[in-house]
Amino acid sequence: MFQADPQNFRELKTTTRPDIMLRMVRNEDSGEIYVGSSDANVYRVDPMAETPEFLPFQGHTSYVMGLVDTGKMIVSGSYDKSLIWWNKETQEQVRRVELAHDRWVRNLTITPDKKHVLSVSDDMVCKVWDAESGDLVRELKSHVKVTEHGFPNMLYAAAVSPDGKLIATVDRIAKIKIWDFATGEELKELEAPKCYTWDSKARIHAIGGIRSVAFSPDGTQLAVGGIGQIGNVDHLGAAGRVELFDVASGEKLHMFEGDDKHKGLVEQIVFHPSGKWIMAVGGDHGGWIQFMDLDKKEVIKQVKAPMHVHQIAVTSDFSMAYGAGHNRLAVWSFVPEEKTEG
Amino acid sequence: MSVNPGRRRFLGGAAAAGVAASSMNMDILKAESLSNELKKNGKRVLLLWLAGGASQLETWDPKPGRLTGGPYQAIQTSLPGVQISELMPKMATRLHNTALIRSLNTQIGDHGGGARLMHLGRRDEPNLKYPDMGSVLARELGRPDLQVPDYVSFYTATEGRGNAVGQPGFLGARYAPMFLTTDNKPAHLSRLEDITDLDHKERADLRQLLSNRFAKGRVSESLGSHNVAYGRVRGLMSSEKLFDLSDEPQKIKDRYGNSLFAQQAMVARRLVEAGTPFVKVARAWWDSHGQNFETHLELVTELDHVMSTLLDDLEERGLLEDTLVITLAEFGRTPTINASLGRDHFARAWSASLTGCGIKGGTVFGATDEDGQHVKDNEIGAAELFATIYKAVGIDPHHEYFVGSRPIPLVDPGTHAIDEVLA
Repeated sequence: MFQADPQNFRELKTTTRPDIMLRMVRNEDSGEIYVGSSDANVYRVDPMAETPEFLPFQGHTSYVMGLVDTGKMIVSGSYDKSLIWWNKETQEQVRRVELAHDRWVRNLTITPDKKHVLSVSDDMVCKVWDAESGDLVRELKSHVKVTEHGFPNMLYAAAVSPDGKLIATVDRIAKIKIWDFATGEELKELEAPKCYTWDSKARIHAIGGIRSVAFSPDGTQLAVGGIGQIGNVDHLGAAGRVELFDVASGEKLHMFEGDDKHKGLVEQIVFHPSGKWIMAVGGDHGGWIQFMDLDKKEVIKQVKAPMHVHQIAVTSDFSMAYGAGHNRLAVWSFVPEEKTEG
Repeated sequence: MSVNPGRRRFLGGAAAAGVAASSMNMDILKAESLSNELKKNGKRVLLLWLAGGASQLETWDPKPGRLTGGPYQAIQTSLPGVQISELMPKMATRLHNTALIRSLNTQIGDHGGGARLMHLGRRDEPNLKYPDMGSVLARELGRPDLQVPDYVSFYTATEGRGNAVGQPGFLGARYAPMFLTTDNKPAHLSRLEDITDLDHKERADLRQLLSNRFAKGRVSESLGSHNVAYGRVRGLMSSEKLFDLSDEPQKIKDRYGNSLFAQQAMVARRLVEAGTPFVKVARAWWDSHGQNFETHLELVTELDHVMSTLLDDLEERGLLEDTLVITLAEFGRTPTINASLGRDHFARAWSASLTGCGIKGGTVFGATDEDGQHVKDNEIGAAELFATIYKAVGIDPHHEYFVGSRPIPLVDPGTHAIDEVLA
């Protein structure tokens, strides 16, 4: 088994695009990469090709904000409020749920057994869908629709525990809800208030929110990501922030923050299968990848990315990572560079 | 060169008074100006100042399906073929009273410079301090028979407040705004409890006596203006109740909602209803360099609700016909989306809206190209917009003031109002 070491993490390749690539999923079996774009398309692409070709799946009418691979199909969700099931080979729509949500779809995730797809939206509902039939199985509702300051709340992301028993959802005002997957019962509410900045005086609006969430491989810990408190809410002017919770007790275990050179939102968190460290990706005008050691409880490496990174896909052996972001697609490797002898 | 009647009157008045240019001269002009008729007509202007620069793409000029368009869709409005952002569903059903201007190119892309331009309607001149739109309208539309302030300006957020010009310039302090920053009610407007009404009146008389004695043999621009401003104190004090929403019916309060912007819009409606000719409600701060779409989801949602409620309220009271409601900012925002999913400053192709008094509702003037990067039809600048605003409320934009013997037209020479949006 390959032992990934964050210290060996390095950029291999970037591909420039005019659009913003917001989501990415990789099929572990085929190695295919799919990206969701601001031009409303889903693309299949081989990022390692000398000149990568982007094969479009056309059907959405706005930003593609969620993308999962059920094995047989790709499912996408969009600001156009719809979900689409795609035939991977023909790029045809197999199924379309036109009004999957009342407001914009912000993200999708899939259960470890790939039997269910979860969508989150600004209607503040997390919906559980049968991945095969597209039937709506369950709705999880209790995130408030309006903030205490009278503005719309936003539901940014969801995660499912490795055993498939728990769902976590995160929102704009930095609330974290933990749900029983089987019953849809809300079990717990946690919060990471530093991730939400409300400016009551200078600019009278907010910024931030929890943008990413992930369970640890053993399911005992939950990591959420966003941005710290911001002085000037015109900009993403604070370091990316990851907070770690004990799932059973709800206790906050630790908070990780990058340095001032790595400001912006944590858009995604990925646990290493060992559970010893995590990757956090994101950015502001620039982008970065940060590695956080869960035993030492410290940020052990920060790497500049060629773009603000919206989502990554990591191979199961953690040898390679692929990133979708602002006007670029990037490929990184954990494999140490071979040293030329001589 | 011909001398227009206004100028003849001015010169005659000035000669008779034996004084040179001063704000007192402006008052002579006022007494004889063409605006007398206007004042009787009770025209008013209510400016919703979107400080920091609202995005035209997330409001009045969406570009769906383009990379510059952002994630929000465009929705059909009550005007066939006209779409606005889906963030404005309430305004989309009410465009019959509104004219959209989608072709502003104002060139100044910094907050301070842009805000000055969009308050004054022209660029600064080193030796002349121009009045801002509010001061001009206060002068032209203000009614001496009403005991209400002529120019009220709300700006509660601290960011950009210094850019929100409230400048009477050569019109004199009489037309300066009542500038409210910390509370929706003017501070220190109430008579102190330990001073009786008689005391207060006698103090004013004493001040006037001393002031008149001081003025004897002196020619002072500032003194004249000062005296006129003081002369209005008791009237302003009696208008305090206009700022107090406690007597506003709960049903109306519920319609507006609890946001600060909504509360100030409600006070603004009360003021224009009572005859205040110009009210500015500044909603700051729209400067969304990062997370433009989240910021606009918050602020446009609020704008859509407050603006539509305000327009309904004015219309139901029969006030909209005589009240011009404007949305304006110092500039718009870049079509190009930056890596923080923000939009930056953009003065080259942006939008404003005019609703109500003097406006041909349901019109769209000008157009930008498919990505919103340039104006492609009917480009205008600040001066044309100001000329249109003045003409909409019945003021000839080519009317001249005089500073000394120098004629100062309301808008830059050669500027014309946009007749296509005027009723």
